[in-house]
Amino acid sequence: MPEPAVRFTEVWKKFRRGVRHDSLRDLIPSAIGRAFGRSSGDTPDKREFWAVRDVSFEVRAGEALGIIGPNGAGKSTILKLLTRILKPTRGHCQIRGRAGALIEIAGGFHPDLTGRENVYLQGAIMGMKRAEIDRKFDEIVDFAGAGEFIDTQLKRYSTGMNARLGFAIAAHLDPDVLLIDEVLSVGDAAFRDKCMERMRELRRREVPLVLISHNLPVVQDLCSRAIVVDRGTVRFDGDPARAIQEYRRVPWTNTDPEHPPQSAVWIARVELLDEGGQSSATFRTMGSMRIRVHYETRRPVRHAAIAVDIHRGDGIYCAGVSTVADRCNLEVLEGVGYVDVVFPNLALLPGCYLGSVKILDGTGRPPHDRRDRAYPFTIVSDRRDAGVVYLDHGWTHRQSTPAAAEKPRPVSFMGTT
Amino acid sequence: MNLAGRLGEMLSEQIEYRELLVQLTMRDLLLRYRQTVIGLGWAALMPVINTAVFSVIFVRVTQVDTPVPYPLFAYIGFLVWNFFASSVRFSMASLTGNANLVQKVYFPREMFPFSAVLVGLVDLMVGSVVLAALMAYYGYSVTPALLFLPIVVVVGVAFTAGFALLLAMSNLFYRDVKYLFEVVLMAWMFATSVAYPVESVDGLLGILLSVNPMTQIIEAFRAVVLYGHLPAAAPFAATACVSVTVLMVSWHLFHKAEFSFAENI
Repeated sequence: MPEPAVRFTEVWKKFRRGVRHDSLRDLIPSAIGRAFGRSSGDTPDKREFWAVRDVSFEVRAGEALGIIGPNGAGKSTILKLLTRILKPTRGHCQIRGRAGALIEIAGGFHPDLTGRENVYLQGAIMGMKRAEIDRKFDEIVDFAGAGEFIDTQLKRYSTGMNARLGFAIAAHLDPDVLLIDEVLSVGDAAFRDKCMERMRELRRREVPLVLISHNLPVVQDLCSRAIVVDRGTVRFDGDPARAIQEYRRVPWTNTDPEHPPQSAVWIARVELLDEGGQSSATFRTMGSMRIRVHYETRRPVRHAAIAVDIHRGDGIYCAGVSTVADRCNLEVLEGVGYVDVVFPNLALLPGCYLGSVKILDGTGRPPHDRRDRAYPFTIVSDRRDAGVVYLDHGWTHRQSTPAAAEKPRPVSFMGTT
Repeated sequence: MNLAGRLGEMLSEQIEYRELLVQLTMRDLLLRYRQTVIGLGWAALMPVINTAVFSVIFVRVTQVDTPVPYPLFAYIGFLVWNFFASSVRFSMASLTGNANLVQKVYFPREMFPFSAVLVGLVDLMVGSVVLAALMAYYGYSVTPALLFLPIVVVVGVAFTAGFALLLAMSNLFYRDVKYLFEVVLMAWMFATSVAYPVESVDGLLGILLSVNPMTQIIEAFRAVVLYGHLPAAAPFAATACVSVTVLMVSWHLFHKAEFSFAENI
């Protein structure tokens, strides 16, 4: 096994909260206060917090690690630690070779310099040699699509073109390790495709990659592994699809099983059942899945309806069914009971999915209870189709050479089960 | 890490990123050239104006004895002093003015103060053209002592770079430093033999003025360029030692603090 290209070992990073001493005006009173043993009431310990707590991971050649998590979870801090901008309070982080970082890519640009001058400046900031930039210059300009504007001052550029030029430089860095922080949100669709293609090419060349993104489909597409970071710690480490599922599974905090909500009816629990009626988290494409919604009521409830939604882990809304849409009248919900919805032919292709359940008030008022993206399940299959859904299909082939018969010949066919 | 190891790391980083240093220096020169009408001409114009003003004071208002014609004496003084003052002033703003880069991209942070000093050095060279013209006008020509000029420049650059590092770092942590240093610069200029020879000051104050390293550096410039002899050995050697020490100590401090820049800026 080769040495990992990126090694992050038990890293902790502490920051100070609140306003720092920015001027001597603040420093002098606090220094005097300290000298006379007078505490300012705000002890340093209280104002410090750990932005990264005991995070460890390794990335080897050929691997792409996705880092996902909510805002403020510590993702960017991890990347800054990797790029040596910050130093860990405890632990070690190490990168072998040249790290190319795509962090706010236009950072070094100066509006009064021309595109050409900025390419050289930014290239040097990112650690490229002049000869290297000379060699790649045309390629960079071409990639950014900035050809005719390259000798125009950057302040005349559009926002998108500015960012495109930034990415183009970074994309031609030929780094030993590529670190990317949320950069694909810029540029138009065509440019985004170009960027993705460039990143895939780096992946094919086995360049280790660390990608921080809220764009979950990109993480799922590009990464071989992902970690979910939450409040500075790693909550999950493994398969990207599972990581995304884990990240999107919003923990239900409003309801406590001991203290049911104020509403008249609520979701007590939800089971996912396979053909044999066994509780499961794994189902097969075109197999059967039964979602059982257990409810409890405080008093009899009329006009209630149940809705079930299925999202793929990366956020694609795959399906939504409800008793309202199916004109299925639940009559009165009373006491304790359950409602089943059965999908006999689950036409989802392999991946990680999340189920959501709602008990609706049929009269248009807010739902009685809801559990958004709370029920993860995985689809497996032997089929090699790509995409989200399995579409029942067949192939025919017609040839107009004399040897071939007039009748169409089926060349292959896949059944529905 | 021992001191020698750290020194090696500091130097090897500079070598690795030398092209960035050139690029940053080019950027600042290019910007000034583009944004101002006179461009690089300011490098010569500032000491010319200073010299003109002080020539009026020290030639017409009151007399001062200088070994060479007063404008020549004052011009080289202002040229060297402005190199020091503008390099330090510029590097103080360099870290805070490039906060975006400091927080986003890693490269040795010394690049900012060092490029400020390099810009100052370019100004010094541009200003030297006017000095050459003045010397020709007054009938002065260079002597073999000029061969010693590179060493004088190195000492001047070391002293300036040391201060540039120290103040750039201080200003990042405490923004008052910038204002405080303006006052210090003003007083320091009059405590240096920029516009008048320190020999004309007697007593304790005179001694104080002559141990000022900037006085020794400016006097060394005058010696090798105008007077045609080497600078006085003992004071110059002492100044060289002070300059190198200032540079090493502040570079060391800067390097140690570098990692906390991003979170404190």
